[in-house]
Amino acid sequence: MLVSLKWLRDYVDLPADLDVDDLAHRLTMASAEVDGIHRIGTWDRDLVRVGHVLQVEPHPDADRLRLVTVDFGGDAPMRVVCGAPNVAEGQRIAFAREGVDLIDGHTGKASRLKKGVIRGIESAGMVLSEAELGLSTSHDGIIVLPADTPVGTPVADVLGDVILDVHVWPNRADTMNLVGIAREAAAILGDTAIHEPDEAYEEAGAPIAGTLDVAIEDAALCARYIATIVEGVTVAPSPEWLQERLRAAGQRPINNVVDITNYVMLELGQPLHAFDADKVRGNVTVRLARPGESLRTLDGVDRALTPDTLLITDDSGPIALAGVMGGEATEVTASTTRVLLEAARFDPVSIRRTSFRLALRSEASSRFERGLSAELPEHASRRATGLLVALGGGTARQGRIDTYPAPQPAAEVSLTRVRLDTLIGVHVPTVEVEAILGTLGFEILESDGSKADGTFRVRAPWWRTDIAIDDDIAEEVVRLAGYDRLPAAAIEGAIPEWEPNALLDLRERLRDALAGAGLQEIITYSLTTNEVLARVIAPDDLASLRPIRLRNTLSADREVMRPTLRHAVLETMARSLRAETPAVAIFEAARVFLPNHATGDSAAALPEEREHVTGAVAGVEIDRWGRAGDRELDFFDAKGMLDAAFGALRVRVAYEAGSEFGFLPNRVARLKVGDTEVGILGEVHPDTLAAFDVDRPTVLFDLDVASLLAVLPERVAVSGVSRFPAVEQDLALVIDESVSAGAIVAVLEGSPLVGAARVFDVFRGGRLPEGKKSVAFSIRYQAPNRTLTSEDAAKEQAKLLKRLEREFGAEQRT
Amino acid sequence: MTSTTLDTVAAVEAEARARLAEAADEAALEAWRLGVLGRSGSLTGVLRGLGALPEDERRAVGAAANIAKQALEAALDARREELRRAALGSMEALDVTLPGRPVRRGGLHPVTQVRREILDIFARLGFATVEGPEVELDEYNFGRLRIPEHHPARDMWDTFWFEREQATDPAMLLRTHTSPMQIRFIEQHEPPIRIAVPGRCYRYEATDATHEWMMQQIELLAVDEGLSMANLKGTLQEFARQMFGPERRVLMRNSYFPFVEPGVELSVDCFACPGNNPACPVCRGSGWIEIMGAGMVHPEIIEAAGFDPTRYTGFAAGMGVERVTMLKYGITDIRAFYSNDPRFLAQF
Repeated sequence: MLVSLKWLRDYVDLPADLDVDDLAHRLTMASAEVDGIHRIGTWDRDLVRVGHVLQVEPHPDADRLRLVTVDFGGDAPMRVVCGAPNVAEGQRIAFAREGVDLIDGHTGKASRLKKGVIRGIESAGMVLSEAELGLSTSHDGIIVLPADTPVGTPVADVLGDVILDVHVWPNRADTMNLVGIAREAAAILGDTAIHEPDEAYEEAGAPIAGTLDVAIEDAALCARYIATIVEGVTVAPSPEWLQERLRAAGQRPINNVVDITNYVMLELGQPLHAFDADKVRGNVTVRLARPGESLRTLDGVDRALTPDTLLITDDSGPIALAGVMGGEATEVTASTTRVLLEAARFDPVSIRRTSFRLALRSEASSRFERGLSAELPEHASRRATGLLVALGGGTARQGRIDTYPAPQPAAEVSLTRVRLDTLIGVHVPTVEVEAILGTLGFEILESDGSKADGTFRVRAPWWRTDIAIDDDIAEEVVRLAGYDRLPAAAIEGAIPEWEPNALLDLRERLRDALAGAGLQEIITYSLTTNEVLARVIAPDDLASLRPIRLRNTLSADREVMRPTLRHAVLETMARSLRAETPAVAIFEAARVFLPNHATGDSAAALPEEREHVTGAVAGVEIDRWGRAGDRELDFFDAKGMLDAAFGALRVRVAYEAGSEFGFLPNRVARLKVGDTEVGILGEVHPDTLAAFDVDRPTVLFDLDVASLLAVLPERVAVSGVSRFPAVEQDLALVIDESVSAGAIVAVLEGSPLVGAARVFDVFRGGRLPEGKKSVAFSIRYQAPNRTLTSEDAAKEQAKLLKRLEREFGAEQRT
Repeated sequence: MTSTTLDTVAAVEAEARARLAEAADEAALEAWRLGVLGRSGSLTGVLRGLGALPEDERRAVGAAANIAKQALEAALDARREELRRAALGSMEALDVTLPGRPVRRGGLHPVTQVRREILDIFARLGFATVEGPEVELDEYNFGRLRIPEHHPARDMWDTFWFEREQATDPAMLLRTHTSPMQIRFIEQHEPPIRIAVPGRCYRYEATDATHEWMMQQIELLAVDEGLSMANLKGTLQEFARQMFGPERRVLMRNSYFPFVEPGVELSVDCFACPGNNPACPVCRGSGWIEIMGAGMVHPEIIEAAGFDPTRYTGFAAGMGVERVTMLKYGITDIRAFYSNDPRFLAQF
């Protein structure tokens, strides 16, 4: 909301030397956020002054130019050349002398006014238009100031202004207007004097009673409806001062009748509507729409009305959408002479619903939907009717039709001294509490707050619809006493019992472990599309999963909540590889969203959110010099990183050959601890990679944190370290391609005399038959209780070999 | 003859010492050893010749020869050690500026790092970390936070809504803030409560340098007997000092959130300038940096959870992790975080 300080001064006595920054700061601290300060009229106070046009003569050498003699309050009048068609003797005008920085009316750029010779006549000054002062781009004619403007006054004092851009809180309907801001400013500055707008006017016409009736069908939707009638109005442009104020508030002047309704809305916060009374047929009824009803609104659109639309109707049917927009048929036009002025209190929910549904949000609806006081229409009705009489040349009918079925009393609230002190944490003395509440317009009904068990009982001013409970009063006290009064105090109470959260802990440990193993964490968006998901989830699975879909999206690539992170990792992989990075190892730790598609129970409707850790590795090995090497990173690079991470978590994960959608066949491992699958690792299918524009072989893993948690040892099993020396023996076996090295290692490590067995070579070809491979193992024999001899080891190895021959058809390679 | 033989020992030893000083490597040392102490070495020759000497001479010369032998063996060891040290000292110099052998370095996303830093600070103040769902019910994101449907405060949170499969399905949305977890937690726990709730939140709004449609928030909730706004101020001042420096001060100003009363906005004094530099990228000359919305938990929320609001009070606060991260590192465009450029991420 734009607040002109010049206008604001009508209602509150701001000091002449007001520090605008300070006022803006204090409003922001206590009342409403000042987002911006726009200063208009920072012109030089000596060089730009109010002038009096003494004489206008024709220019001897130019038909369109005149010579204008101006008294600007200086030693002597000055004669300058002026091209404006509207300059005339006797006018008060804005006059600038050479040396001042203005805006060039033709180019719109800043320029300094210099003495010049125009068609042979020297000119050292200028009669100004709005364009030169930067007030608008209008360069059609000079500004004509009111005739009583003192000559010689700095123009800055006459046309200058400061506009505050104020953001008011949604609960403070009362501050969304000039008087409301004036009240806040008065309370902040410690001056309670508010000059209320003049509501008095002459009711010279016949009594309004009997001209029409107003009925309200549902008082919950319309608490009050006031109608006044002004007759003999001449619809015309508003006076300049009113237009200027509307423009300062960011509104476009239309005609005096419409402008007055807008002006009073800006001034008091009450939206009003003016009907052409001659076009309203019979009586007015405020009611909900009936089936089949429609209305052509002011904007020429025919609108079908839903049954929850609150309407103003006459005997012929709907004539306005209450609080949202008037109807075309009863619109005030140039020929209107009788105005029916509506000032009402409508239900905020009804207004908001209708304005949203019809996409007709306006200054009016944004005020109604905050919940205005039912007292406000009376003030606004009087004010606007008075202005219609004064500015529209009309005659007001005597009295008003005021339908107010259930008057709403102002809120009465009690706040105990104990509550006040407990809630804000500092003692504000009772006299100060009373003074603060007094300046804000609260009536103190009872106050013994100086007693420890005392109470402040107050009545809120009629405009404060946000006040309901004791803590609301406490906020009033603390916001005006100042939050800087509050001490910064530590919490004294006991620290609550700590509830461990093993899942979150494991997720964070996984993050650390993977970062430690050389992977970079990424964070990607939680939304994607089914088209993208179809690249990483099998069609049947995606169909039964049915990811939950947004109703409103910002862009077409964010429609559904992702049930996996795989696509996001591959998308980031594609971009990372393009960023001239030779090797990329990334992971994300985030939730996937698995829909429940349950109905009925609201809690069950929410999707399951599972923590996943998903990553990918691609690129080439880095050589000793940090350059891209020749070897492409592969499955075993990724496995090495994962094993380093699992090692940091002290969990041993087994890799079992498997398959998975989106991966290469025969290139996938299912990660298991015991019988529990905790994740997957594999080479991504080239077709999948191509779909993501990943141009290098990529290995992807996907871990389910909760599954891993389920098998994570609570405590690491620690065994003693054998003090007896170990014996190392090698064993090379020829086995079928289908036999995994891991199966052999499992057998070897099953021996009580084997401390560890590791693969150290895999060989194919040569003299080996097709379908066979040779795998070499280094076996470390060790006993916990004695020194093994090489004979002991050989004996055990022979035993193991026999078993391997039997179980896997393995042959020792010689 | 006697004197001659003793002289011979002395001469052999002197000559051997002179040659030892010339031996410059292990091969020369070995040649020297063979030439002096070996089977046909010069000193060995003297010892062999002892048998031809008369008894008394043999004893005297033998003793002298043995002393010479021990001395020369010691001299050999000393010379060898001397040469070894000299060799170590004259090794080819390392160019210590050459790069080390590369080891892959991973890292945590800056938002994760700062999120942890914030949670660690609050953990030290007794706030346990808990998390809540990202896909929420309207009821928790708004309704129970006193923001019913058609409340004008809903404009403060532009919302992503999910499609309903059936008209009777509850309204689901992407949570716009971490505040719903206030309700979920207080429904399940008894005061005293002190929690910090981190997590992703979503806003249906266009992205620019300071707005992302997805962001991470950390929500604080404390409920206990006698908690006041002074405790809110103290807690957040302590946070500001641990996060941004021990001299930090906090500024509270009036604000409005339907689920707190009174509501405030909290700012920290600028740590990047003395507070008066209009060109300061952090505070833009205001001297204050807004970092969170906060307030005292609305008594209706405490009552709805089944606790006596005249006995229990509480405070709540919420801050954006990206914003704190931007302040900490002087990042000016929030979009840098989730575009995940490896060259950006590797810097943290």
